[in-house]
Amino acid sequence: MGLRDVFQRVSQSPTNPHAAAAPRTFDVADLYRGPVSPADEQTKAPATPLDEKLRQAYFWIVNTAILSPHYDVEFNQGPPQSFVLGDVKSRLTLPSAQSYSSYVLLPLLTFATRRKCLFVGGPGRGKTASAILMGVLSGASVRDVRRAMQHGHPQMTVADLLGNPLPADLVSAQRIEDIRISWRSWLGMRVKIIDEYNRIPTRTQSALLTVMGDNYAEILNHIYECPDSAWFLTANDEQGGGTYQVIEALRDRIDVIVQALAFNPRFLSELLVRIEQSVRPEEVVPRQIIFTDAEVDRLQGEIHGVPLPPEVRRRLEFFASQFEFFEGAAEQFEYKTKDTARLAGVEWAGLTAQDTGRDRLKDLGCQTRNGLSVRVLMTLLVYAKALAYFRGNRIVELDDARQILPFVLRDKLVPDSDAPFFDAPGNAKYRVDRIGWLRQLFDVSCAEYDRLNLDAEDPVAALASEFRQGLDGVTRSDARARLVKIERLIADWSKGRKLYGNLYDDLLSLKYMHQRYTNYLRWLETQ
Amino acid sequence: MSAAVSPTLSAVLRAERHQLNERFAMARVRHPDLDAEAFAGFIRGAVDPLVGAVARTRFERVTDVTLAAYDIALELIGQKLAGRSARTPHVGGAWRRVLPEVAPLVAAAPERMITAVCNASHHLSSTTGARPGAWIDLMARLGGQCTDSSMFLTLGQVAAWRAGMAHFRESALTAADTLPEPLMLAAIEAPKARWSEVRDRLRSDPWYDPAAPNETSATPRVAARVGAFRGFGGLFTEPPTAAIADGQVIVGAGGEWWLLTADVFGATFHRATREEFDRGRGGSVLPEGIVLHGATATVRGRNVSLPEAFDEVTSACASRTTLALTSARTHAILLVALPVA
Repeated sequence: MGLRDVFQRVSQSPTNPHAAAAPRTFDVADLYRGPVSPADEQTKAPATPLDEKLRQAYFWIVNTAILSPHYDVEFNQGPPQSFVLGDVKSRLTLPSAQSYSSYVLLPLLTFATRRKCLFVGGPGRGKTASAILMGVLSGASVRDVRRAMQHGHPQMTVADLLGNPLPADLVSAQRIEDIRISWRSWLGMRVKIIDEYNRIPTRTQSALLTVMGDNYAEILNHIYECPDSAWFLTANDEQGGGTYQVIEALRDRIDVIVQALAFNPRFLSELLVRIEQSVRPEEVVPRQIIFTDAEVDRLQGEIHGVPLPPEVRRRLEFFASQFEFFEGAAEQFEYKTKDTARLAGVEWAGLTAQDTGRDRLKDLGCQTRNGLSVRVLMTLLVYAKALAYFRGNRIVELDDARQILPFVLRDKLVPDSDAPFFDAPGNAKYRVDRIGWLRQLFDVSCAEYDRLNLDAEDPVAALASEFRQGLDGVTRSDARARLVKIERLIADWSKGRKLYGNLYDDLLSLKYMHQRYTNYLRWLETQ
Repeated sequence: MSAAVSPTLSAVLRAERHQLNERFAMARVRHPDLDAEAFAGFIRGAVDPLVGAVARTRFERVTDVTLAAYDIALELIGQKLAGRSARTPHVGGAWRRVLPEVAPLVAAAPERMITAVCNASHHLSSTTGARPGAWIDLMARLGGQCTDSSMFLTLGQVAAWRAGMAHFRESALTAADTLPEPLMLAAIEAPKARWSEVRDRLRSDPWYDPAAPNETSATPRVAARVGAFRGFGGLFTEPPTAAIADGQVIVGAGGEWWLLTADVFGATFHRATREEFDRGRGGSVLPEGIVLHGATATVRGRNVSLPEAFDEVTSACASRTTLALTSARTHAILLVALPVA
């Protein structure tokens, strides 16, 4: 047991124990497992399931590498203890189940799903150190990770980022294909780190966008195909401040944003030990928590395979349908969206001032200036699965979606700070606290879902289910009956009901089904 | 510290002073309340005799053994598993009594051997119903007959079962086949017999006692009384009830549920779920031929007198080999050995 082994201890399995399944089997070999571990035991141990390995990586980072006492991703089994403190009634909750620190959890899930994570926060809070740790988890040496890390700076050129044509070829080549390119080595890394990406000049950002978005780099008609990789970017200011404004397309490629929260001075003694013992966490990452490429491939597959049950999916659908609808944006039904308004470039306040008869305080759609894109929804689903997988759950639970949602939507769902909601008593804080705002938004959406009793009474879901069974064997009279059902439902809804986002999307779904049945009926009549 | 230990250990401590001090400092990081006095005491009382025993057999291994023992001792004292503040005396006891007896094996694989003995004794002392003292006695007595560490570890597994870890029964029986026959028979205290025959009887009847082979297994009898009130060191806050699910006895008491494993050598309890208990209760019907009346159980025509506390049974269930009874008057579960066909 060497000097640094104290820093290399990995949490004992199971890191998130679940109720044992019966019948059990007992292995007498367990007799020798206990509080004392031989140094080589874990390397000789049979392969750890990947979700367990991921949790061990999490706990090693939380307990040893990053002194992060913030448990902001809360889960409960039974009611948690809750306390109200201070004059403004701040609530402190003590979760009753294993809860996590987003600052470690989100990057790890990003690593496991090979997506893109942005660390934000003031200087010196460990953003870059955390990104380097993720690089080391992929099996690269600390030296390689450091060398491959791209540091944004105002003079950064496309050549700095991607590589250079060989000078000799530039002189002697007769054709552009003959010019060989010296590609930058970071392009081949499985974990790519861009430090201070908001200091990169706009033109270079565009080149970066191609690599981030399409996974290849191009110089002089030569293409470098990058391997699938996880991306970690850092910025001191998520709002795009910094030396250069970050182009919107680049920001849009970022899947999750995590904030480096403040250091708790109570942990100063831990810092002191690091100084005194000259220990750098990234240099003592235990071998047991390093993932091979094949393991990350398998992780991705296993994560994607975690089922998301219809009950959870429906609530996500209901939530997502709240935001895109904008009644005053167009005459034609399909174009009544915030995107129509955005593309027109008309002043936002003028459009929102139109009275639609809806309760602007209760309408969740009124709180945002945009809706959710397909990319965002896909990201949300992937991260919800990843969180469920990380927690050792067989299926995605509503809590997984609820906890992951704010980190995915943080930069994607733009609040309309002029909306009446933010002026309501107690809500001013949500102008600043995006995570809290998004979480309450989802909670309110779920409460409305429950109030409407959509789990039990969802006529559109019933019609869609019928429709998904296919049109084979559907007779002319069946098709007509279904058309009538759709028309009656729409007619029923049109009687004095206000138009909200979820209703708008349901109506578009009904129109879609109506159109498919109409076409089918027309086809039947020609047979 | 070095002045109070043997010259052999003292020499190693002096030679490795720098790295040993560093290790102590790092252990302090991990265990801020690491008791230096307790550690020194353990070095004197446990590590030194072991190093002395190793020096008598393979002197060239003394440094390696000392370094391994030092690290493990730091961990044990740090976790309060040994030393003056230890939560249990058995880990230190196993170190002192077992390890010196197998010094040649420790010399060959110090980390493996010391870790195994410490973990096993901790495992036994933290398992309700197990008898760590019996395990230590048996290993101290027979460990010296082992020719290598693998044999020693297998013997330890059998000894754990013998010391009350009933849940290890099946896998210990399988492991036992790799031990020399005399050693195995000695481990279970069977008089002159063939191991294969003893093993077959052990496999078919959990209440067969190899130390008393003439006791008939054709007679039903009260075999054990297991479990106790939490205030007296047991698990139960109220008198339990029992049910049988998937052939295993599940016990419920005070909103907690336990799987009971029991045989002639002892009984252990393991956390179970309410679902298991409910499933068991739904299907718990006494097999044909077993009747309860007052403080008597009649099993296939033979009467078994039950202790007085069991004259009003609150639950009864039976597996192929065992009848489990509970009563409102006691926190114990009565186990009746059923005749094996």
